[in-house]
Amino acid sequence: MKIAVCVKHAVDEAELKIGPGGSPLLAGAAGKMSTFDKNAVEEGLRLKAAHQGEVVVFMVGGTESKKTLKEALAMGADRGVLVTADTVAIDALRTATMLAAAMKRSGRFDVVICSEGASDTYTGQVPPMVGELLGIPYVGYARKIEIDGKAAKIERSLEDSVESVEAAVPFATSVVSEINDPRYPTLIQIMQASKKPVEELNGEEIAPAGSRRGVEVLSMSSQPTARKHVMIDGSPDEAAAKLLDALSKEGVLK
Amino acid sequence: MSGQVWVYSESEPVANEVATAAAAVAQGASAEVRMVDIGSVRPATRGSGGRLLLKGPAGHEVSPAVAAEALARAAKDLAPLAVLLGATRDGREVASRLAAKLGIGCMAEVAGLASDGQGMTGERNVFAGKVVAKVRCQFPAVATVKVGAYPKAAAQPGESQEKDVGPVSDQTKTVGREKKPAGAVDLRSAKVIVSAGRGVKKKEDLAILAELATAMRGALGCSRPLSADLGWLPEEHHIGLTGVTVKPDLYLAVGISGQLQHVAGMKDSKVVASINTDKDAPIFQASDYGIVGDLYQVIPALERALAARR
Amino acid sequence: MAGLDVGYLAAYALSLASVAAFALAGASLAHRLSISLGPGRVAGLGRDEMRRLRTGDPVFLMHLSIALGVGVTIADAIIAPFMGGALLLLDIFRAASVPLVAGLVVAFGWRVQRYSQSMRIGRGLGVTEGFASASATLQLVLMGAIALTTSELVLLWFPALGWADLLLGALRNTLITIYYARPSVNLIAKFDRPLHSIRAPFNLADVMAGKTDPEAIRVGVSKVSEFPADQSLSFDSCVEIGACEASCPATAAGRPLSPRILVRKVSLLSRTGTGRESEVLSSVSEDELWSCTSCGACVASCPVSVKHLDLVYDLRRELVSKGRLDKEKSGMLANLAQSQNPYGFKNSTRAAWAEGLGIDTLSSNPKAEYLYWVGCVSSFDQRAQRIAKALSKILKGAGVSFAILGAEEMCVGDPARRLGEEGRYQELVFQNIEKLKSYGVKKIIATCPHCFNALKNEYPQFGGEFEVVYHTQLISDLIREGRLSIPPEKVQKISVTLHDACYASRYNSVFDQPRAMLKASVDDLREMGRRKEKTFCCGAGGSNYWFKVPQQESIAGIRTQEAAGTGAKTIATECPFCLSMLDDATKVSNSGMDVRDVAEIVAECI
Repeated sequence: MKIAVCVKHAVDEAELKIGPGGSPLLAGAAGKMSTFDKNAVEEGLRLKAAHQGEVVVFMVGGTESKKTLKEALAMGADRGVLVTADTVAIDALRTATMLAAAMKRSGRFDVVICSEGASDTYTGQVPPMVGELLGIPYVGYARKIEIDGKAAKIERSLEDSVESVEAAVPFATSVVSEINDPRYPTLIQIMQASKKPVEELNGEEIAPAGSRRGVEVLSMSSQPTARKHVMIDGSPDEAAAKLLDALSKEGVLK
Repeated sequence: MSGQVWVYSESEPVANEVATAAAAVAQGASAEVRMVDIGSVRPATRGSGGRLLLKGPAGHEVSPAVAAEALARAAKDLAPLAVLLGATRDGREVASRLAAKLGIGCMAEVAGLASDGQGMTGERNVFAGKVVAKVRCQFPAVATVKVGAYPKAAAQPGESQEKDVGPVSDQTKTVGREKKPAGAVDLRSAKVIVSAGRGVKKKEDLAILAELATAMRGALGCSRPLSADLGWLPEEHHIGLTGVTVKPDLYLAVGISGQLQHVAGMKDSKVVASINTDKDAPIFQASDYGIVGDLYQVIPALERALAARR
Repeated sequence: MAGLDVGYLAAYALSLASVAAFALAGASLAHRLSISLGPGRVAGLGRDEMRRLRTGDPVFLMHLSIALGVGVTIADAIIAPFMGGALLLLDIFRAASVPLVAGLVVAFGWRVQRYSQSMRIGRGLGVTEGFASASATLQLVLMGAIALTTSELVLLWFPALGWADLLLGALRNTLITIYYARPSVNLIAKFDRPLHSIRAPFNLADVMAGKTDPEAIRVGVSKVSEFPADQSLSFDSCVEIGACEASCPATAAGRPLSPRILVRKVSLLSRTGTGRESEVLSSVSEDELWSCTSCGACVASCPVSVKHLDLVYDLRRELVSKGRLDKEKSGMLANLAQSQNPYGFKNSTRAAWAEGLGIDTLSSNPKAEYLYWVGCVSSFDQRAQRIAKALSKILKGAGVSFAILGAEEMCVGDPARRLGEEGRYQELVFQNIEKLKSYGVKKIIATCPHCFNALKNEYPQFGGEFEVVYHTQLISDLIREGRLSIPPEKVQKISVTLHDACYASRYNSVFDQPRAMLKASVDDLREMGRRKEKTFCCGAGGSNYWFKVPQQESIAGIRTQEAAGTGAKTIATECPFCLSMLDDATKVSNSGMDVRDVAEIVAECI
């Protein structure tokens, strides 16, 4: 079974620094493998363990993002494909187009696995777009994947229901975090993974952008994240009323 | 004919929210809103404009794949300026596939939508809500609208339109659908969490916190001693380093002292409020709002105040 | 003196042969393993035995009684035919026999008790029948050796039965040749190996420098044959004394771990069908390995120097290498990799507690005499931050020049190492050493015993040599030297009991200092039975703070009960993890006790 897994080198939001003007300092920001992508890699490895074959990791990113590719290889993926592009400047459709183009060059994959969304930008658009561009069935938000020969049965975890969906191999999917517990690659395993093959492709060459502009980011501004430490006093009823006022102003009261 | 802004969501209540967002875009672009139905008319959807029924697919089973294909075929002929969908899980999928089919941009989970006539802008949270990004996409464009960000639109009359897109088949087959059990705590995806600590004196008293959680449409969590040591709640309620890590919009810590063991599991909550008898309790350092008081008085007061508001 | 008949001569020959066999067996094993059994080692062992005897453990009373009893009876057996009229020597032997017999009788009683306990624990943990019978055999052999030695000592008083004495001796010597030559060699080889020493399977600096190929590195152990020889010797030396099990907090809490059973299972595995090629994890469960708090009570209490912790670390490393970690454990390691602290807090905010307190950072005051290494818990835990604030207040009050690293501090590495992720541990170590050296740091104070132990005992192996003191050492010195004075009216009128932290007391022999602090600051200090180097864990060590293990009761709960038993109203701690664990446990038990660090208690008095 040939398994493609897409990963992203995401901005580490916990370590993100905010510039004096209130906009986030993205240049040189600390990055990490997008949280749920670890579940995608793990699921690829699980399927490989059950059905043999190969797990190939695809990523669109700059050279700094190789760290993430290496991590996926250290987890156990067989080889990697890095499509070089400036991820800050491109939108989901552009990313998906590059990923699909890279996959088509690498032959036919039986299963294409993404995670439900990136931990930094969380659009959740790339997985269905990749499925669409490859022209294969797509089943998103999988919490369980079973494959028997050419037939796959997938449980989709939606907001308040679970759907069972049947699809035929090849297909694309996105996984939710409850699907598995991703393994942790040790530092030594990451160093050992340096010897695994990584192919580098130029994003603009394999998928020219043409005149399309897509979604542009006009500006970014930070939201205050420090805790407010407001102490509310008064009788229990007064305090309760004041608290509810404050919470509805914050927009967190349902 | 002026341009159109289409509204579609598999969820009728969400469609009515999206309609409000669409009205804002339509106003800026001097366009009309069309509430799109696929297969059959859903009278519960209403919006500030007319309706568009896409005929062809069978009305009872509109999967994301079918919806995306139907919308794409119609859009190729009718050329709407924008198609807005709800940012539900299915909605995100329909929007992404539609954008890929049409080769146009798709804004994800936006609020604050507006149009300058040439395209539309919106605001979305990125980097775990720490940053708001203002995004723009040239028409024609697709967007998913943040659920809960807009009020539901009021019904307005408008002209109805039909379009036959032909039969649409799905390569996948949905063979079962089950409601997630209502009692199942999924703290990881809960928007509101009321969490109990050792300030709760006995197991039976958890009932008042559970009531409050229900009243706030949230889930009940707890700190480690209550589940691991006392066994008052099952392990899946335990929030902290050795339990689940949660990121709700509102975290209400009740009788929790605020040890790191616990705080590390809820530190990414958007707003934290806490109630504790000890004014020096560490939890107040990790809170936006704090009430120094007896939970046995404050919680009933909160319930009364909530009931009075609804 | 008995007549020199043929029967006696035969008995004597047999006895001599049995002594020679024991000596030969020990010597050849030592030779094979290149272990020195020289007089210096033996004398050192003697001194160490006396030190351990002073801790008052029955197991060392037993151990010494057996060793001396065996020594006396062998000496007697060898020289008996030549003693002639040298009755003085016999009198000395007889005089020695009285306390030895008493010691052996006590030891025998303890053995009987351990036997029933160990069988019960074995049943609870579901050991196989084969294992149980192997256990019973070893324990009966030990009881037999005690009984035989006792009988021999008693027979010293009945010269007519000299031949019987020799025969019993020959039998006993045969037993010890078969069963105790190996543990004796192990003991002589390792009695002075410090509790804190851990095998480093590689050096990351060599890997980075290209001197070691990462492909060639084997971090864990999967087959019995992969254990280094000295480690195998250690596990095969277990003779089921059971002192480890009796002192183990995990066993006491009903966790699926007994250090005795763990070690014996691995040792017995090499005698099964697949022999030394057996997979160790086929007989050891994951929960068993995660149950260990690395408190070191097992190693410290073992009379024959079995190093249980080596086994735990090597097998945890194997689990980590195989990716067999649950979310909590992998999450903690991922946090360390990403945020340099085990909680996933933004590391640049770690000095937020110090804001507005006028505390220097090394970057603002590189000339400070001491670096205060705050540690992650006291940096991020709102409760434990009070320890850091208390120490700062004390140091300022005493005029000690100090600074912190602030946002530049990272996790010391201990949680990664104890969990079995040696690579991440060494990465943190090398980064920290580089930072400390860049500021020319000479002296370090720590308030967390895990940071203290790592900085003091482990960093030197990686090139980080600093003078590291624990806060209780420095503060008690300040009090003694009069630099910090507590006026009599400020002495707190509270009853306090001190909970010693394993990594301060057992690992580093720091236990008098916190007592000196308390004697100066409170009027009623009460002691628990398990104290100083015999302290009982809080349950957080060995990275247990970050994950859950099945258990019948909590280790902290057991300890809190013991503390409550002293009647004290306050538990004084000296470790932020102990503080957190015991604080939770007092809330669970509703004991109404409060828990404070010794530094907080002293700071309240100035």
